[in-house]
Amino acid sequence: MEKAIIVDRLVKNFEITEKKPGFSGAISSVFSSKKKVVHALRSVSFAIQPGELVGFIGPNGAGKTTTLKILSGLLFPTSGFVQVLEHDPWNRKPEFLKQISLVMGQKNQLWWDLPAIETFKLNQAIYEVPKKEYEKTLEELVELLEVKKLLNIQVRRLSLGQRMRLELIAALLHKPKALFLDEPTIGLDLVAQQKMRDFIYDYNRKLGATILLTSHNMDDLVDLARRVIVINDGRILFDGAFEELVNRFAKEKIIKVYLSKEDGMNMIEKIGKVKKIAFPQVILSVPRSTTAVAAAELLQNFPVSDLTIEEIPIEEVIRKVFRGETGKRSSGIIKSGHLNKKGI
Amino acid sequence: MKKYLSVFEISYQQEFAYRLNFIMWRFRNIIQVFITFFMWTSIFAGSNKIIFGYSKERIFTYVLGILMVRAFVMSSRSADVSGDISRGEITNYLLKPINYFGFWLTRDLSSKVLNMIFALVETIILFLILKPVFFVQTNPMLVFAFLVSLAIAFFIYFNLLFLTNSVPFWYPEVAWGAQFLFMVVIAEFLSGSLFPIDVLPAVAQDILMLTPFPYLIYFPLQVYLGKLSTAMMLKGIVISGAWLVLLGFCLNKIWKRGLKAYTAHGR
Amino acid sequence: MNKNSFMSVMTQRFVFLIFLLGKIFRFITFGAFLLFLLKGTGGLGGYNINQVLFFYLTFIFVDSLAQVFFREVYRFRPLVISGDLDLILVKPINVLVRVLFGGTDFIDLASLPIILFFLIKTGQILNPNLFQVILFVLLMVNGLVIAMAFHIAVISFGIITLEIDHTILIYRDLLTFARFPIDIYKEPLKSILTYIIPVGVMITMPAKALMGIISPSGVVGSFLFGGLFLFLSLRFWNFALTKYTSASS
Repeated sequence: MEKAIIVDRLVKNFEITEKKPGFSGAISSVFSSKKKVVHALRSVSFAIQPGELVGFIGPNGAGKTTTLKILSGLLFPTSGFVQVLEHDPWNRKPEFLKQISLVMGQKNQLWWDLPAIETFKLNQAIYEVPKKEYEKTLEELVELLEVKKLLNIQVRRLSLGQRMRLELIAALLHKPKALFLDEPTIGLDLVAQQKMRDFIYDYNRKLGATILLTSHNMDDLVDLARRVIVINDGRILFDGAFEELVNRFAKEKIIKVYLSKEDGMNMIEKIGKVKKIAFPQVILSVPRSTTAVAAAELLQNFPVSDLTIEEIPIEEVIRKVFRGETGKRSSGIIKSGHLNKKGI
Repeated sequence: MKKYLSVFEISYQQEFAYRLNFIMWRFRNIIQVFITFFMWTSIFAGSNKIIFGYSKERIFTYVLGILMVRAFVMSSRSADVSGDISRGEITNYLLKPINYFGFWLTRDLSSKVLNMIFALVETIILFLILKPVFFVQTNPMLVFAFLVSLAIAFFIYFNLLFLTNSVPFWYPEVAWGAQFLFMVVIAEFLSGSLFPIDVLPAVAQDILMLTPFPYLIYFPLQVYLGKLSTAMMLKGIVISGAWLVLLGFCLNKIWKRGLKAYTAHGR
Repeated sequence: MNKNSFMSVMTQRFVFLIFLLGKIFRFITFGAFLLFLLKGTGGLGGYNINQVLFFYLTFIFVDSLAQVFFREVYRFRPLVISGDLDLILVKPINVLVRVLFGGTDFIDLASLPIILFFLIKTGQILNPNLFQVILFVLLMVNGLVIAMAFHIAVISFGIITLEIDHTILIYRDLLTFARFPIDIYKEPLKSILTYIIPVGVMITMPAKALMGIISPSGVVGSFLFGGLFLFLSLRFWNFALTKYTSASS
């Protein structure tokens, strides 16, 4: 198989009926409804190699979840070509379904009142996983996610983090070749988020599954995705290496300083662009290349009690991409050269 | 197939998670039988006359029979489908290599099995308490016809329930109301689970027998009681069979349309 | 309080229209069934058609009235579980009043006039004199008092066990026994329905009063019973409050 996922000029429109508020609105909507067309995806194209781990980022309503749903066969395209693992997803053939998995944050597949192990058994039967394989996979996953003690407890008694780990197992028992994760870290605390990311990374490495994950939590992408596709308003704005995204649109770094004394504070403008100044904290942004020098200067000339160097918040990076701050128009697709030799 | 056996198992287990609910449901079934039983007892007080074509034995058999037939035909989990659709949880099953109808049919079956076990026990207990005169059908042909009509009833109910549960594809807010109106009010009343249809005037009966509802409970019981001529029995089976096919066809079409229109809820 | 329930209901009017239709359909079809049944049998348990129909209508009316007043009880369980009951307990208004009343349902209210119409119609056929009508009304009020006692008992039970929905359903199911005059039930069921779960006192008695077939001891007994039941339920309520463990989230 050359490519695991091929998407070519995919268009998806939704028809939404606009309902007027109130009682008279409800009645009139039965007779004549105003229909509005929502262009969720406007000619999206990309290709993913088997075993790649790709991050799909964009603001709410950008079209990320819609794309995932089309790739897993839940929605049908308005026009365009879609192929996943050499199948047309919309046909939903059993052979296709057995090889994919879609995990959506809030959509639980575990049976609520029963222990998770029961849902696992059910999935084993549905996906027709041979007994030995099932047991081996289960053991591996349980160990990786540290849920051994939770298997026999009723799902509704578990915390969100625990449930999510078990949901993952349920989704991976059949060793899918293509894994779609929609906002996998949403609602989790920081520790759980990191664990989730580590797991996804390991899974991709060990089993070579093609993984496509959506997020608007940028830390997910920092750790995981080497390739990033930025989507907004149904259009792809960037498709390439994560580092390149950062380099092109994040030319600066942030230095956060905590001062122990207030005097001389206004001189700090000389070191870099002041973003926020409120004793004892000062936030500066400095060009990437001169960050070390700037930091050294601060430490030498100012009464610094604490200093950290950070990336620009990724939200800002994205905002810059959307605004096309490299000077290019935002309607173009900014492709990173070396990743698209065989571009479709 | 092993898949469906697994579904049966897990569904069965799920029923026990809602023990109290289940027991309440059985309790209410029994109360209804009690009330109906006493009503008919006082109607037949002392005498051995025939009322609406029923003798004492036959009417009491009808009343007790409702318990078993109802447990078989109307026990179902498929009422949960509308919730699945409204909450978007249906996507979980669309992603799996399993037939959605097959899935729910199997779930219904597990519910029916459980309910029938209880109904059997209840019927025996009620029989011992109330000591009605019971009528046992001995004609093998009629028993066979009875079973056939039960099978048809089983599937008609499934189709009706599933059709009403498809409403949330288009009108998610109305789902509950539609289900209540259709299944609880109309189907329960017109199916003969409260009273035998032949209490109503002939005109009303004729009209009703053209709808699918009486074939859920009333018709199978009539077959069992031997109250129908062969011609009427065949007519009933043909009409109910036709309804079965029609409803199945509609369900298929509506479901396909619904899935397409469905914007797979959630973000 | 009442206004809020109204507003939230108004916004789902279409759904409630369906429920209203369902209620009316149920009411009419069973009534029609009774009519046809009785036409064929000539009566039930010694009562003629009109009387039986009147018993049925009294049942529907009392049931609907009770639902109109006490709808709020259906919202009690989430109140206890979420701990919001605490907020009510600290307010100066009588807790019981707040928890029982205020949840008036639009549908029930809308269906009342229709039921009342039929009730009066069937009542008129029985030709009661003024005294009997007054007695009927008084005994119906007594019936509502018993209904209230029932609901108080239910929520008291709910405070202790957190089980409310099922107990309410049991109460409603038992009430349906009184669709017919409870004389048709054999002992010991009849006594149970009179002394222990007094649906007979709630419904059969008032109807009998209108028909002029109730004994003076029956009247007195009914009122005494109503008072006793209310008293017991209030004791139970106070007891339940002492057992109340405020739920924390």
